[in-house]
Amino acid sequence: MVKINDIHETSTFAWSYDSIPILATGTAAGVIDDDFSSSSSLSFYNIYDKTPILKLDSDAKFNDLDWSKSNELLVGALENGSIQFWNTKNLIDNNEVIPIVQNNNFKSHSNSIKSIQFSKVQTNVLASGGNNGEIFIYDTNKLKTNNLDPFPPGIGMTPMDTVNSVAWNNNVGHIFASAGSSGYTAIWDLRAKKELIHLSYTTNTGSRATLSTVAWHPSLSTKLATASEADGAPVILTWDLRNSNAPETILTGHKKGILSLDWNSKDSNLLLSSGKDNTTILWNPITSEKLTQYPTTASWVFKSRFAPSSPDIFASSSFDKKISIQTLQDTSPPISNKLNQTSENDFWNNISEVDTQQPEYFIQQAPNWYGRSSNVSFGFGGKIVTVAQNDDKHSEIKISKLNLSGSKTNVELFN
Amino acid sequence: MVTIGNAHEDLIHDAVLDYYGKRLATSSSDKTIKIFEVENDEHKLVETLRGHEGPVWQVSWAHPKFGVILASASYDGKVFIWKEENGKWSIISQHSVHQASVNSVSWAPHEYGAQLLVASSDGKISIVEYKEDGTTSSIVIERAHAIGVNSATWAPPVSAGSSIENDKSKSLQERRFASGGSDNLVKIWKFNPEVNTYELEHTLEGHTDWVRDVAWSPSVLARSYIASASQDRTVIIWSQDKPGANWSKQYLTEEKFPDVVWRANWSLSGNILAVSGGDNKVTLWRESLDGRWESAGQIDE
Repeated sequence: MVKINDIHETSTFAWSYDSIPILATGTAAGVIDDDFSSSSSLSFYNIYDKTPILKLDSDAKFNDLDWSKSNELLVGALENGSIQFWNTKNLIDNNEVIPIVQNNNFKSHSNSIKSIQFSKVQTNVLASGGNNGEIFIYDTNKLKTNNLDPFPPGIGMTPMDTVNSVAWNNNVGHIFASAGSSGYTAIWDLRAKKELIHLSYTTNTGSRATLSTVAWHPSLSTKLATASEADGAPVILTWDLRNSNAPETILTGHKKGILSLDWNSKDSNLLLSSGKDNTTILWNPITSEKLTQYPTTASWVFKSRFAPSSPDIFASSSFDKKISIQTLQDTSPPISNKLNQTSENDFWNNISEVDTQQPEYFIQQAPNWYGRSSNVSFGFGGKIVTVAQNDDKHSEIKISKLNLSGSKTNVELFN
Repeated sequence: MVTIGNAHEDLIHDAVLDYYGKRLATSSSDKTIKIFEVENDEHKLVETLRGHEGPVWQVSWAHPKFGVILASASYDGKVFIWKEENGKWSIISQHSVHQASVNSVSWAPHEYGAQLLVASSDGKISIVEYKEDGTTSSIVIERAHAIGVNSATWAPPVSAGSSIENDKSKSLQERRFASGGSDNLVKIWKFNPEVNTYELEHTLEGHTDWVRDVAWSPSVLARSYIASASQDRTVIIWSQDKPGANWSKQYLTEEKFPDVVWRANWSLSGNILAVSGGDNKVTLWRESLDGRWESAGQIDE
């Protein structure tokens, strides 16, 4: 099944937090379609459907979209420098999304906004990054007062140029990271109102990495991953801020610059990246192993994200008018095997119908949301078999005998 | 009591006794299955079965009338059928219709013949029938649960124990099973012989996170019970007065369990429910005379 769906749009997107997630898509900025259309829209999709369940017009094209963890608020970073909010509280029940109309929308940025993200710790807090090094923080509770009152994060160390990526720490509410075309990643402390650390990297061969994308570890507050969009140094680096002089691991495998990073929220041994080499790759960022390379597209893959509530599923968006929704795993036999068994005619007929590209698996690593750690079963003669986990790698099995003696709640276990 | 430590090189996910309670099959993330002979306080490893290319999540013994047969479900997307003959184990069949991790496998009540119920993360459920002439036939339910199926359990034969032949054949027509998925739902499926497939009969809503396990009580009473264990740290007991009627919902405990509930399993007579959780604890439950669920003890370390 690996490929669940292809949506034919060149769009940025955001996943909802529903148990069966909804994908919101917004027409990507800076792209000219084959029909030279300048219109922009916001659409909502069920993951299996090719037509949206709801489609709204938008004033401008999108650079980024993000959904609040409460599922009630969707935010778009628009090409014209404004931020647009939509109330999505009644999306599933009533198929209704209401734009939150504001005076001039919210023009905090003087120019285009490149990146926007809700905090998952303080779910009402939002950060945006854009041209001219501009970064703003917002409290969406203030939407009611019709004045978002954005404020900058504090004093920076060096000019940022264009901020392509902002990312909130997943554990500490007042810490976030920004990264952009200046080539380094900055860590900000909102409480201290300043930039704390900045990370930069030069490869052994002297090429400077452009750390333009950043993602935090899902559970450890001092760890993060950065990726370089420089074609000369297409590396992903993981860091522990307790030693910010050198990265912990270096993931190499992309052939050109990297545009997107996402660290799986449920399993920290899974990291997804995609970029200008038209590929999406799944890594184990702890062991630096490349796990899976997903089928290449015809153009740059500029965003890929796991669905937060269904971490088996991810979407990736590329400039060839495509958002692919796929599962991490595909155990179906190679297409060549399937086709070999048929006649020549069948071969050509089939090949046009099936997606001939399949993911390439280098290492089979079961995500940690599989695999129960304890177990119980009954056997003949009142036997009960239990499995308990001792440590990371060991379990113990016990077979006991159940004796339901006289009193109805009293169960005794004996040899 | 028998204690088996470090039986595998990685975590163990399942351990099941055979029909006679004499052999134990275990499955692990080390990709192997082990067979132990268990007698009194002794245990002896007799075989290690290799073949899967991923963690083995679950194993199921077939009824002995079909031979010494074990089915195994793995992350590699495959189900293997293993058979022992003259002390030698081999794979006699391979079931690979699934495109993702196979999370659960269970043999049907033997009255139905050699039939296997298989649940996978690809969202499908498959039912494989191994016929006496050696052929197999499969029924595949596409998109049984969006996002993936974690568990499936057979209903006991309806009015089992009836001596009237007519009733027996009727009960075979009334085949049902329940499934639980990552869409937080429990679903009841019923066989429709006219179209030779299983059709959705009921969708049970109640859990707020993934359903990890479903277990249909083997009790031969008229009333049916299904226990569902969830990532949301609850166990729900679904009960039904007679086949086809509506299901009512009752939480096993008022308070949530301290951790994810991985497994719920009924004793062979169906009167005791055992529940195992992420906290490594196994607790036992039974229904009191006034219909409440009460503790029946705990398996201590």
